[in-house]
Amino acid sequence: MKHPDSGQILSLLQQFLAEKFDIPSEKAGIETPLLDLGLDSMLILDVLLEVEDQLGVKLDDLAIPRNATLGDVVNVIQRNLEKAE
Amino acid sequence: MNMARQDVVITGMGVISPIGQSIAELHRSVLDNRSGIQLWESALLSKGVPAGIIADDFSSQFSKIELPYMDRCSQIAILAAEQAMQDAGIDRFESYAQRAGLYYGSVGGGVQTEHEWVRQFHVNHVEVSKPFTIMASMLNAAPALISIRHKILGPVVTNSSACSSSGAAIGEACRAIRDGYLDIALVGGAEAALSPTFISLWGGLRALASVDADDVTRSCRPFSIDRSGLVVSEGSVFLVVESRAHAEQRGANCYAKLSGYGIASDGHHIGSPNALGQAAALRAALADATLAPEQIDYYNAHATATRGGDPIEAAAIREVFGDSTERLPVSSTKGIHGHLLGAASAIELAICVLAVCDSFLPATAHLVEPDPECGLQHVAGKPVPGHALEHAMSLSAGFGGTNVALAVSKEHDLPRRTLPAESSVNRVPQ
Repeated sequence: MKHPDSGQILSLLQQFLAEKFDIPSEKAGIETPLLDLGLDSMLILDVLLEVEDQLGVKLDDLAIPRNATLGDVVNVIQRNLEKAE
Repeated sequence: MNMARQDVVITGMGVISPIGQSIAELHRSVLDNRSGIQLWESALLSKGVPAGIIADDFSSQFSKIELPYMDRCSQIAILAAEQAMQDAGIDRFESYAQRAGLYYGSVGGGVQTEHEWVRQFHVNHVEVSKPFTIMASMLNAAPALISIRHKILGPVVTNSSACSSSGAAIGEACRAIRDGYLDIALVGGAEAALSPTFISLWGGLRALASVDADDVTRSCRPFSIDRSGLVVSEGSVFLVVESRAHAEQRGANCYAKLSGYGIASDGHHIGSPNALGQAAALRAALADATLAPEQIDYYNAHATATRGGDPIEAAAIREVFGDSTERLPVSSTKGIHGHLLGAASAIELAICVLAVCDSFLPATAHLVEPDPECGLQHVAGKPVPGHALEHAMSLSAGFGGTNVALAVSKEHDLPRRTLPAESSVNRVPQ
């Protein structure tokens, strides 16, 4: 099964952020720090759990670096998808 | 009054309640005896109960990023606290560092969040909650969120002693100011527990009022011969209290002096009140305020309208006030606002403050025939305007036996507050 690429994952995250937290997609770029979007670790964890449901995968490794950007979250999801292969 | 210690004055008030969403509206409702009690129903319960309901949904006043952490209890607490701060002319507390505190009381905290999570667990078989649910449901969520928003960096304390929760919180803040630990504090309580599980918990006690057959708004009848039980309400009330020296220094006007605090426990029974413990709290508050019983001009009773509770408080009043009981105007304003549980002491203190400031006696609504077992000088049916008060008292008695009495006194030295008009800025921000 082919996994979504980073662009597709970013779109998925942008969609969740818009729906759940009213964050406009144009503000949520790959370089945007999560703190600038008002997102703390628990809100991001909630988003990752939504990603699990949407993609039908279990994300075992949820370690996100300090001062993370949205790109770091994309990387965490990709890393998990690769491990699951 | 012993002027050697640091007096505590009240310089701001805010309220979100079934009888008003501003101090001006609360004032008007008490003067008009307007009941906020309505029929509350749930699809999960076979019959409705009377309850003090706030019709509004406040979630639109917060962002979607904030809301996951905010039960309704926290929402109304934040809004009432911000009203009180605005009323007192305080924006942030950061510059006070550890000399500003927040003392808060609640019985249930994030009850509706917890109810919804338990429902998901049992009904939908969800095994893991959302990451923020535990924080939204915890008892100290509201004060935590207020302290974060407004940078209250000293003690942020949550007290839970059932129906005296906010009373003990207010009293302990008062002591911290008098003892020199704090200059200023935000004090109060909140409750938003109208959920099917919580109401059914009360139902198990057989202490809830039945729906009045003619008029649901008359369902809570403290001291009345035909009272049928208490009415659970939601709401939040906050006050800004500070030392006289601090209020003087910043040129604040004040509503009244918080002149006495007494706390005493029954040591008797977890669910049955005891007149001795209540009397001890009243005596302690009088002693704290250096007032004799005959100097109290108005007494706002805890009286929740239960068969067992009201006569016990009447006995405690007679025990403490002795011969002057005949001259002590007493009322329970729960007849119109119901029992705000964790915010009960705070709303009743606010009503005492209004009574002292505006010279009137609040009434026990719907009191036509008092129970002879509750023989007191009742302010029955209608408030009495044009009645000057120097000192007023309020008692709260919690399950578990913790009793709190608070006294407020007219302020003569500092500039006094003018009560806000109903259409003033003291409104919930839209």
